[in-house]
Amino acid sequence: MALDRLTGEHSIAFIRSEQLFDYGRRNSLWYMAFGIACCAIEGLMHAGGPRFDYDRFGIFHRGSPRQTDVMIVAGTVNKKMAHVVKKLYDQMPEPKWVIAMGACASTGGPFREYPNVVLGVDKIVPVDVYVPGCPPRPESMQYAFMQLQEKIKQRTEERLAARRERA
Amino acid sequence: MQPDASALSAALRNAGIDAPVAEERLGLVARPAIADTPSALRALHAADYEMLVDLFGIDTGEDIEITYHVRSFTRDEDAYLKANLPYDAMLTSVWDVYPAALYPEREAAEMFGLRLVGHPNPKRLLTSDEFNVPVLRKSVPIRTDIELERPGISREHLKAAEEANDNG
Amino acid sequence: MANRRPAAKKQPAGKSAQPKQAAQSKQSMQPKPAAANPHLLGEILPEGAYEVEVLPKGLHRVPRGVDELATEHLIMNMGPQHPSTHGVLHLLLEIDGEEVITGEANIGYLHRGIEKLAEHRRYNQVGTLLDRSDYLSGLHSELAFSMAVEQLAEIEVPRKANWIRSLVSELNRIASHLVWMGTFGMDAGSMPGFLYALREREALLDILETITGARMMFNYVRPGGVLMDLPPEVEPMIRAFLADFPTKLEEYDTLIGKNEIMQARIKGVGVIHRSTALAFGLTGANLRATGFGWDVRKERPYAAYPELDFDIPVGETADCWARYLVRMEEMRVSTKLVGQLLDGMPEGDHSAKVAKVLRPPAGEAYAAVESPRGEMGIHLASDGSDKPYRMRVRGPAYYALSIIDEILPGNLIADAVMTAGSLDLVLGEIDR
Repeated sequence: MALDRLTGEHSIAFIRSEQLFDYGRRNSLWYMAFGIACCAIEGLMHAGGPRFDYDRFGIFHRGSPRQTDVMIVAGTVNKKMAHVVKKLYDQMPEPKWVIAMGACASTGGPFREYPNVVLGVDKIVPVDVYVPGCPPRPESMQYAFMQLQEKIKQRTEERLAARRERA
Repeated sequence: MQPDASALSAALRNAGIDAPVAEERLGLVARPAIADTPSALRALHAADYEMLVDLFGIDTGEDIEITYHVRSFTRDEDAYLKANLPYDAMLTSVWDVYPAALYPEREAAEMFGLRLVGHPNPKRLLTSDEFNVPVLRKSVPIRTDIELERPGISREHLKAAEEANDNG
Repeated sequence: MANRRPAAKKQPAGKSAQPKQAAQSKQSMQPKPAAANPHLLGEILPEGAYEVEVLPKGLHRVPRGVDELATEHLIMNMGPQHPSTHGVLHLLLEIDGEEVITGEANIGYLHRGIEKLAEHRRYNQVGTLLDRSDYLSGLHSELAFSMAVEQLAEIEVPRKANWIRSLVSELNRIASHLVWMGTFGMDAGSMPGFLYALREREALLDILETITGARMMFNYVRPGGVLMDLPPEVEPMIRAFLADFPTKLEEYDTLIGKNEIMQARIKGVGVIHRSTALAFGLTGANLRATGFGWDVRKERPYAAYPELDFDIPVGETADCWARYLVRMEEMRVSTKLVGQLLDGMPEGDHSAKVAKVLRPPAGEAYAAVESPRGEMGIHLASDGSDKPYRMRVRGPAYYALSIIDEILPGNLIADAVMTAGSLDLVLGEIDR
């Protein structure tokens, strides 16, 4: 097998379970098919499409929030939608992350002056990555996922370092 | 398509509705009293104005002006009915003549603060219970710079940017 | 439709349809003593237990208690988050098993106040708001608004600007119909159709990016003309697309349309009769599928359409299949139109000379274009200042959605999904 060239035949690899799970989580971030507005076309459809392919990162869309790791909030959140966003966030199992895509999800966007608009989805759910743009290009969304992968890796390393310090 | 007010005037006259019909820049506009609009629209529907293209309100400052935009495909003609009603008044639904009015009437009632009468489903359409303001009225403001301020951006900076935009 | 339900058990004489009497007669039946054979169906399920109750109009159900075997109507939420990505559409369905008894659309999850904010923007800034209303066909909304402003301010648009406007409109129409085709196929389970549609859309968005500078929020059509002239490098790109697209479109038609499963799912489903369509204000491909050939490009021509030669596809059977065929044919017609526009592109200015800050005289104007969803109209009221007094967006999908409450009852849930998909709804324009 080709992988045996890396490790040598019939070898055994040792890895901390934390690092193994973290590696798995980083490289199979599944997002919820939850397109609120215009950003959904660019960041969910085109970024996952044939040219900008999410699948090479292991990212794929799932229909149900119970099966996802990431919620991409793609679009303006208004007062009616806020309850839905919170409910969906609560339905996602741990560990979960949120990417606020676009100006509307970050701070309210071009519609921030309208009283019905919530000024940023971070008023409802905790956000891990903010992506500027209106709409952000698909490459920006892929960079956002790469940043999220970095963030997950850093957090795991911090946890391991903290445990080593205590020991 | 030459606008010809004869069919519109004849239909309204036959229904006994006293409404001035004028050809304005918009097109053919009839202005009945608000109490006459359901029967006026019934007369228009009978006079081959088959489709209600749009229904919406405008806040004129003193009252709300509801516009009914109807179209006759047989005569290739568009006509507008405009009726004024005071704030917080009752809006009689015309859904039995034009079912296309079902959604826009709910929206006009919630956006301008009118009471909908004769509608099978008079719930709010676009907003939720926490946002209970007649938002399209001119008296309802949008958010100001102060409300939108976020830490790190000062108001002086915003004002300077706006002035530069206005001048340049 | 009554013939889809299992046949109700025949009622013996004396049992009327009124619930009160039926309940009384059920209570009068005492359970048989334990000595009788419990395997006889008639013992466990007494007469009349199968009758399906006729509920009064409205979305509520009648609770019956746990010791009586009966079926209930279930109220189910379809959305606002669901895998058939039509945006945040929430359908409240009252279902009896798999069949929809009543349906109601609950919208407003994307209500962002485009009409209110337009009253606080200058005329050249309103295009940014309208791009985001119907986000799949932003150029059409911008064009309708620009036409309304030009009517009020009596600006004459140069011929080349009109031809460029039609060119980008048709490119945008193909792009929007590709999204519709991809998501419609995905509703029935065809993931590859979606990816192929996106591949063609990438080519189109490259062209539109070269012309306008943006992939989605173009802000290109302004009152007076367009923002910039066509760059020279875009013509070979469009020619390459036109050479490639027709054969690809036939492939996608074969993949999605000639698929037996797809045909079984959409033929005869979601029938909208012409009288219903006209009564509910339906326009566009949805109306043309009923056999009524009204197209704003032909009946109220604008931009370059008076000078172009094209046919309008009109359907026959008024179901989802007819809407599918009409939209696929519209893509072919648009491809030919793009070729005509490119061949006959005149020389001239790309925009009339308009003031930097437009102040149209007071008055009202209505301008409509044929957007991929139907007749997109902008009703503009001006008071002479530099900001609009009132802008009303007449969205075609708004009226298409109001028909859903009317045609859903009697269909299965799966049919409801396909019907909603075939109407080509974009929630940005419905909720504004």
